[in-house]
Amino acid sequence: MPVLMLSAAAASSHHAFSPVYDEKRLITVVGVVTEFRFVNPHAMMFVNVTDDAGKVTKWTVEFAGRLNLSEVGWTADSVKAGERITVTGNPTHTGSQRMFFRKLVRADGAELLPAGPQRLKSIEEERRQRALQRTPQK
Amino acid sequence: MQFIRKECAMRRDHLLQLLMVLPVLLFIPLPGQSQSRSKLEGMWSDPPASIVGSFCSFSCTDAGIERLNALLDNPANDARPYEELAAEAKKYEREYLRSRLTGTALRTFPLDPADDPGFLRCEPWGVARQMIAPHQFEIRQVGRDRLEFRYGEWDARRTIYLDGRKRPVNQPPSAMGHSLGHWDGDTLIVETSGIAANIAGLPDLATTARHSDQLRIVERYTRSKEGNTLQLTVTMEDPPTFREPVVLKKIWRWAPESKITPYENCQAPTEFKKGVRP
Repeated sequence: MPVLMLSAAAASSHHAFSPVYDEKRLITVVGVVTEFRFVNPHAMMFVNVTDDAGKVTKWTVEFAGRLNLSEVGWTADSVKAGERITVTGNPTHTGSQRMFFRKLVRADGAELLPAGPQRLKSIEEERRQRALQRTPQK
Repeated sequence: MQFIRKECAMRRDHLLQLLMVLPVLLFIPLPGQSQSRSKLEGMWSDPPASIVGSFCSFSCTDAGIERLNALLDNPANDARPYEELAAEAKKYEREYLRSRLTGTALRTFPLDPADDPGFLRCEPWGVARQMIAPHQFEIRQVGRDRLEFRYGEWDARRTIYLDGRKRPVNQPPSAMGHSLGHWDGDTLIVETSGIAANIAGLPDLATTARHSDQLRIVERYTRSKEGNTLQLTVTMEDPPTFREPVVLKKIWRWAPESKITPYENCQAPTEFKKGVRP
């Protein structure tokens, strides 16, 4: 599944996204949050993922910075330790237990997203309006 | 005795009158000092969620915008996602900028993102990237004759001298250089030199070029008529790097509610791959 360029570009500001994460792929894990750090330049979340054999693996989820997240309502309390979540993101090139955040789904089905998708929606609407005003071609 | 008391009372009244008038005097512009600065002062942040705002979120060129407009105005592209068209226009823009680089600069252009010291060692940017950094950009007046620029990215700061001073001689080049500013009507013009060789964003994070210590930058800041955006036009001249001056554009939105928060968690990468370009 291709990942949107706008969100990738906006996501990682103090360095390029591409050396660490594969923006062409997405992965999803289910686990329990151990910590969420609402910091700059990138917010971080740590998640314990338990496999069928009961083995626990610690995953690191890297986010955009605070500003990008706060634009769409995130705060330091948006995700709490102990919360069970499903998180989707771009995997690393090396296949380590790390991802770049794209979507989080809480146990009750509520979704948390970065700012990119919302910004993109506004842009597509502007584009639609612009197309409507286009002078008809003869 | 009565006279002395009366004299003291009069002096006290004069002092009180002066104290009441002083704040007013401080805000009356001196000859040659424009009130325009107040139009730029305050907090700005990432551009509006618009086509131009998105395309110029780091910076852009007129050539890139024209290309994007041509793509958007072609009905044959209506079914293509915006991001695909923006990527095509950015690719065109990179080639446009490539054509302006010297043979020396082309040898390392574009730099591998994995070789970026900001990424590898959390090394703060030089002015040629910081001036177009994403996120907040705060302009504050310091005294009568200086402006302080503060950026959300890296929590970096620059001082712009407006007092007409001469450029210092024999001062070693620095990451932010030496910036002298003046007003042209409502436009703030900042001229910077004395910049240590570093990396310039051309026009985004993924497309960077090395510049020399001969780099000279002219920034022009203007607030839009509506007041809700700040526009920057940057001209960079650096004969070892550019065959001709390179002009970049950038835009911020007025964001008085925004606050620059601590930049305290930059971590050097533990894993990365070289040669992967967006």
